[in-house]
Amino acid sequence: MKVAVFWGCKILTAQYAYEMSVRQVFPHFDIELMDLKGASCCGGPVRSINTSAAMYLSARNLALSSQTGLSDLLVPCNECHFMLSEAKYRIDNDEQMHKKIQEQLREEGLKYSSSVKIWHVIDLLHDLVKLDAVKAMVKKPLEGLKFAVHPGCQIIRPSEIGRVDSAERPRKLDALVEALGAETLDYSEKLDCCGAALLYSHEDAALSLAGSKLKAVQGYDVDGFVDTCPYCHIMYDARQKEAAATVGGKFSLSVFYYTQLLGLALGIKQEKLGLHLNQSLDSEKFKVK
Amino acid sequence: MSLTDLMTMAKSNKELQEKILSQLWEVHPDECFQCMRCTSGCTSLKLLELKPHEITLLVNAGFIEELASSDIIWTCASCLKCRERCPQKASPYNTIMALRNLAVEREAKIPEKYMKAVAQILENGLMQQMQTVTSREMQPFSREKLGLPKLQYPDGKFKTVFMKVLGG
Repeated sequence: MKVAVFWGCKILTAQYAYEMSVRQVFPHFDIELMDLKGASCCGGPVRSINTSAAMYLSARNLALSSQTGLSDLLVPCNECHFMLSEAKYRIDNDEQMHKKIQEQLREEGLKYSSSVKIWHVIDLLHDLVKLDAVKAMVKKPLEGLKFAVHPGCQIIRPSEIGRVDSAERPRKLDALVEALGAETLDYSEKLDCCGAALLYSHEDAALSLAGSKLKAVQGYDVDGFVDTCPYCHIMYDARQKEAAATVGGKFSLSVFYYTQLLGLALGIKQEKLGLHLNQSLDSEKFKVK
Repeated sequence: MSLTDLMTMAKSNKELQEKILSQLWEVHPDECFQCMRCTSGCTSLKLLELKPHEITLLVNAGFIEELASSDIIWTCASCLKCRERCPQKASPYNTIMALRNLAVEREAKIPEKYMKAVAQILENGLMQQMQTVTSREMQPFSREKLGLPKLQYPDGKFKTVFMKVLGG
C-alpha cells in the first residue's frame, strides 16, 4: 500500500529522529511512503494571525496530496493533523468556503478534493495495520519496561471533526506500546498539555507546563515516556532540563517517539532511528550509543 | 443601547461583535450559559489566569476592543479542551483565535514570534529554516548527514498566492 505523507515544518527542519523512524518502520508493514512535492506549512502558526490564510495553507497541502492520486495521507505531527482535519471538515461541509478555497487554489493550478483520508501514525498502525500485525512483526520485545504515554492534545480533540482516538480516554497509543511487549501506565496527568503552543507568547509558562507533567511522571517510576508529536517531543526531550528548572527539579526521564520504540522492537539499527538525537535518553539503561 | 463598563467606562461595540461572530462557523458564543466547564479544564487557567468563560461573556456583552488589545487572548495553549467539552458549542478556542486575528488587523501589539513564522513561510513555505541538530554526544547532524532526502520547497508561485490570501 502506498501512502502520501505530509511532514509539516518541525519534523522536516529539526525533529529528524521522528522522520527517520517513521521512514524506517512503515516499510515493515508494506506501507510505502511518498513525500508531497512543494508542501508548505499547515497554517498552525498562521491561524492566530489570519484564520482564512491558515485554512488556505491546509487546503493547499490536501490538494497536493490528492494530486498524487493516492487516497491516504499520513500526517505524523499532531498540530498539522488538527489543522488539515479541521480544514477538510470545514471545506467539506461549508459550500461557501469550498468555493472560496477552490478559487484560491486555482491560482496555483491546484484543486481540492474531499477524497483524501487523513491518518496519524497512531491510527494508521492501530486501526489499519492492526495490533496483531504489529505484534507479529516484533523481533525484540520490550519486556520488563514500563512507559507513560502522551497522546497529546490536537489529535484527540475536538471529536466532532473526527479524531484519532477518544477525547477523554485515549488508549490506542497504550495498546501500541503494549503490542511491543512493554507495560503502560494509567496516570491522572495523561491528558495534560505539553504547553508548546505557548512558546510563541509565554515561554516560561510553556516550560512550566511541560515540567509539571514530567515531574508527575518521574514520580510514577516508569522507564520512559512516549510521544508522537514533534512539538510535544521538543518540550519533553530537548527542553527537559529547562522544564525541570521551572518546577525546581532534576529529571532523568528518557523520552522516545513511538516510532523509535517500534523500530527497536522490530530490530532496526539504533542509528537508523535517530536515537542519538534524543537529548533525554539514558544511554546505559537502554543500551544505546 | 450600548453597555458601559463602570470600572473603565469602556462601551460595548456591536459592529465589532458582529465581525467576530461572522468569522465563527458552527461555533455559538451567544448560546453560552456560563457553566464554566471550559475554565475548569483550561490548561492556561492556573499559570496565566485565562478564564475562557469570561472571554465568551465579554464577547457577548460586546467588549471586543478591550479583548483584542488585551494580553489575555495570547495565553491560550490551543489544547482544545474547551472546544471539546463545551455543551453549547461555544468553543472559546475559536473565539480567541478570531480575537487574535482582529488584534492583528487593528495593529495591536502581538507576540512577535507569530509574525516571524509568517515571514519565514513567505520566504520558503516553511515556518522555520532547516536546522543542523546536535546529538547527545554534541555531534552536529544535518539532514544530509542523517541520510534524509532533500527538501522540496514550494515554487515562486506559492509566495504570490499566499501574499494575496494573507492580504484578504
